[in-house]
Amino acid sequence: MQKTYFDKVHRWGILWNIGALLMLLAIPVSISLYFNAWPTLQVLWSVLSKLMLLYWVTAVIEVITYVPMLGAGGTYLSFVTGNITNLKLPVGLAAMENAKVRANTEEGEVISTIAIGVSSITTTVIIAVGVLAFSPVLPYITSEGSAFKPAFDWVLPALFGALGASYFAKHWKLVPLPVIVGVIVLLFAPTLGVGTLMFVTIVAAVAGVGVLYKLKWL
Amino acid sequence: MIFENTFMYVIALCVVAFVTLQSVFFIVKSWKHAKELGIDKEKLKNTVVSSILFTVAPAISILATVIVLAKALGIVLPWIRLTVIGNLAYETTAAQTAVEAMGGSLAGAITDPQQFSTVSWAMTIGSIAPLLMLPFVCKKLQSKIGDAVNKSESSAKLGDAISAAAFIGIISAFIARAIAGTTSDGVGNAGFMSIAVLVVAMVAMVILELICKKFNLEKLRPFTMPIAMFIGMGAAMLFEAVLPADIVNFVWR
Repeated sequence: MQKTYFDKVHRWGILWNIGALLMLLAIPVSISLYFNAWPTLQVLWSVLSKLMLLYWVTAVIEVITYVPMLGAGGTYLSFVTGNITNLKLPVGLAAMENAKVRANTEEGEVISTIAIGVSSITTTVIIAVGVLAFSPVLPYITSEGSAFKPAFDWVLPALFGALGASYFAKHWKLVPLPVIVGVIVLLFAPTLGVGTLMFVTIVAAVAGVGVLYKLKWL
Repeated sequence: MIFENTFMYVIALCVVAFVTLQSVFFIVKSWKHAKELGIDKEKLKNTVVSSILFTVAPAISILATVIVLAKALGIVLPWIRLTVIGNLAYETTAAQTAVEAMGGSLAGAITDPQQFSTVSWAMTIGSIAPLLMLPFVCKKLQSKIGDAVNKSESSAKLGDAISAAAFIGIISAFIARAIAGTTSDGVGNAGFMSIAVLVVAMVAMVILELICKKFNLEKLRPFTMPIAMFIGMGAAMLFEAVLPADIVNFVWR
């Protein structure tokens, strides 16, 4: 029974994934056709060789890091709609925490997929409405000197503080190691992308569990 | 701006339609299966409402990044890109690398169609790697983990601890950034504000949970996280308004 539902989700997910790939590639193709302006291969290659070296390598780490956390449906949705670390991942985690279900179970699967789907639609709607209706006034809300600017500058610490508090209270023994490891890594590589940093802190946290489990402190 | 014409808007609306359809598809399928699993309808509704609340503020900051990129690229391409896959750091790097390779700059509006199309190619190809990988690895990775976690009663407890650890690992990355991180644009470097906002949001969350417990407010519980996040953001505004600039701008990274 369990296998069948996950099997179905993966089948749908792969189909949507292929559809998304085709749609994404259609964007630059249609722009080039419409404006009758194609990039020269030489320039494109010099640009892509730099970008791909950085982002295709990070992509491998991101896929390994996020896929186990997001659930099947959540994964296929998140990687199409993007903004995973700052939005889809915390929304999915928060929903599973609130509903008291575990990742990688069918209950966790449906809850995280619903949360990530709702979050994707909300983001899409807010951006669309914002672009179509509010683009003239938006700069005043988020620009230098606006009273709201600090709220948006610091949205990530606020988000992860809120998300972290209840986990940390429950599993305080597991907290110090990954935080310390993360800080040490950042001391040497201060601008390290959060996707890569996350991989390191997750490994540290899981290793910490292994040690505590062996010592019977859990 | 020649890159804000009807044609571009039509592409954007197609992308919006695709993303919305995919989301609706997965929500409907999950909702049906949730019913089969006997998950309480109230729980599902709470998931929807708290996810919307949780999304609003980060979505507005994504919108703000669309506006930043719009100065050089017009508003439609950044809108498309941040609706699919995109995030600001990546899109800016991709656009900048592409424009600079052609001897231009992102400081002013781009007018050359070839530069514009090169940017759109660079943004797309640079970011599609995960979509090329997922069909091959997603199922394998998840079934391995699922088997390991659900294997037996004794491994279930360790499985629980490991998934909690992975969650904590994710959050730790952001805590570590608040303590010692820097960003390429200098906004959000670790300092007084990053720590203060983090601490306020955490304390707010703990207090809200205690209130829920004490007064038995089960209805409030799903919304404690978004509310704590808004309190953190409000605190940032308050600090900026009342504290001396020396303190607010104090960073150690």
